[in-house]
Amino acid sequence: MGLPNASEDLSSEMEVDAFRRLFPLRYFERHLAESIRPDARSLSRARNTTISMGAVASADGSALAKIGSTTMLAAIKMEVMTPSLESPDEGCVSIDFHMPPICSPLVRPGRPAEAAPVVAKQLSDTISSSGMINLKELSLVGGKAAWMVYLDIYCLDADGALFDAALLSAVAAFSNLQIPTVSLDDGKIVMLPEEQKEENSEKEPVNKEKRKLTLGGIPFSLTCILHKNYILADPTSEEESIMETLVTVVLDSSNQLVSLYKPGGAVLAYTSAVQDCIALTRQRVKELHQILEEAISGMEID
Amino acid sequence: MEFVSPEGLRLDGRRPTEMRQLRAEIGNVAKADGSAVFEMGNTKVIAAVYGPREVQNKSQQMSDQALVRCEYSMANFSTGDRMRKPKGDRRSTEISLVIRQTMEACILTHLMPRSQIDIFVQVLQADGGTRSACINAATLALQDAGIPMRDIVTSCSAGYLNSTPLLDLNYVEDSAGGPDVTVGLRLLSCGTYGYTLGPMD
Repeated sequence: MGLPNASEDLSSEMEVDAFRRLFPLRYFERHLAESIRPDARSLSRARNTTISMGAVASADGSALAKIGSTTMLAAIKMEVMTPSLESPDEGCVSIDFHMPPICSPLVRPGRPAEAAPVVAKQLSDTISSSGMINLKELSLVGGKAAWMVYLDIYCLDADGALFDAALLSAVAAFSNLQIPTVSLDDGKIVMLPEEQKEENSEKEPVNKEKRKLTLGGIPFSLTCILHKNYILADPTSEEESIMETLVTVVLDSSNQLVSLYKPGGAVLAYTSAVQDCIALTRQRVKELHQILEEAISGMEID
Repeated sequence: MEFVSPEGLRLDGRRPTEMRQLRAEIGNVAKADGSAVFEMGNTKVIAAVYGPREVQNKSQQMSDQALVRCEYSMANFSTGDRMRKPKGDRRSTEISLVIRQTMEACILTHLMPRSQIDIFVQVLQADGGTRSACINAATLALQDAGIPMRDIVTSCSAGYLNSTPLLDLNYVEDSAGGPDVTVGLRLLSCGTYGYTLGPMD
């Protein structure tokens, strides 16, 4: 392996893997100087992304999203609840993000990962402020009954860009959601199983037509790492642990900015860097939108 | 309620001694040393093994063998109604203990002293027989991690309803109230490694 400029350090005397472990920053900088990353991606390219819908058969809506090795499983369960007094004709969405110990060697049982509550908060803020879900659609009987939507996202493999994958899986799960049919039975809402649609004329479903949510501006995101004057899109966990300055940009499908998140870090971002990140995100939104459309139409064919 | 029809068919159309469809995959979790997904009918379980690695709690370190730890947890959406407390409840703690003791007996722990092997099992879909699916998935994940074992453990459940012994119960049959047993068997030495009797899972 002919490494250039190897005279001043040990790089010529040791193997690539050892160098990668012992001097990770120098290893990456050698690659960045050639505008490439160790997994042969260019600096602005994201990893291979796939979405598979309906991954959990027992849930009302579910999706499995993979960005590279990062895997997120999102599933939605709906329950009927009484709406609050302040918003009697609105339902409620509760988002929970879990990082079980299977996802990473750094997560210990009994001690939740540091990233988990941060990503959970970011997710619920992003989804509620993007206006994707119209809470009024979740109302069943005004003032008496409304849907409580529980979205649980499990990280099954944590390899960087956790927020991006989690948001993608959440959006895909909402696209896949089939609201269960319910009927009014003596003033109580009763869930109807799928097979009973033909029989029982007294148990008329209250919401027979309204089975899918209309999604407003769908948010998509891209996380970038800033290092010196390089911008790396879609980092792996190795890159995230070495170069710690992250910027996450969330745009909706009409390219409006939903959120911009930069939690500190050694590198201070000038306006030009932020604008570059937003430009990269714009490109990524087009790709993600296409992938989501393909996944949805793939489900409909079945 | 009739669980076995007069023609001898169960609620899902199986014969009494017929198992549900099995499906297994290894290597799903890139970050883990070993991982596996195991499906028995609608029950789907993912297991990941990390180890042998340094013991995190030095007071538990053993100088002559490896420490084996296991954690069982169910996803909130795995059962029909959403679960509030997916781990830390008594059932999960008991199943974690059962899986740990089952696997510990098969791992050659004396070959890896002062180290720790973590087995994490997550139930993604629960339709009866989660304990068995977890043991099967844990075995595959340990094999994928290359951890030396003296044997392979497999597991299945059985019960007795409508005067008929039934193999591989699903959730409806399991909650019917009849007796049931989950058996873990070591393949090569052909001895019953462990069994639990009673209305569980």
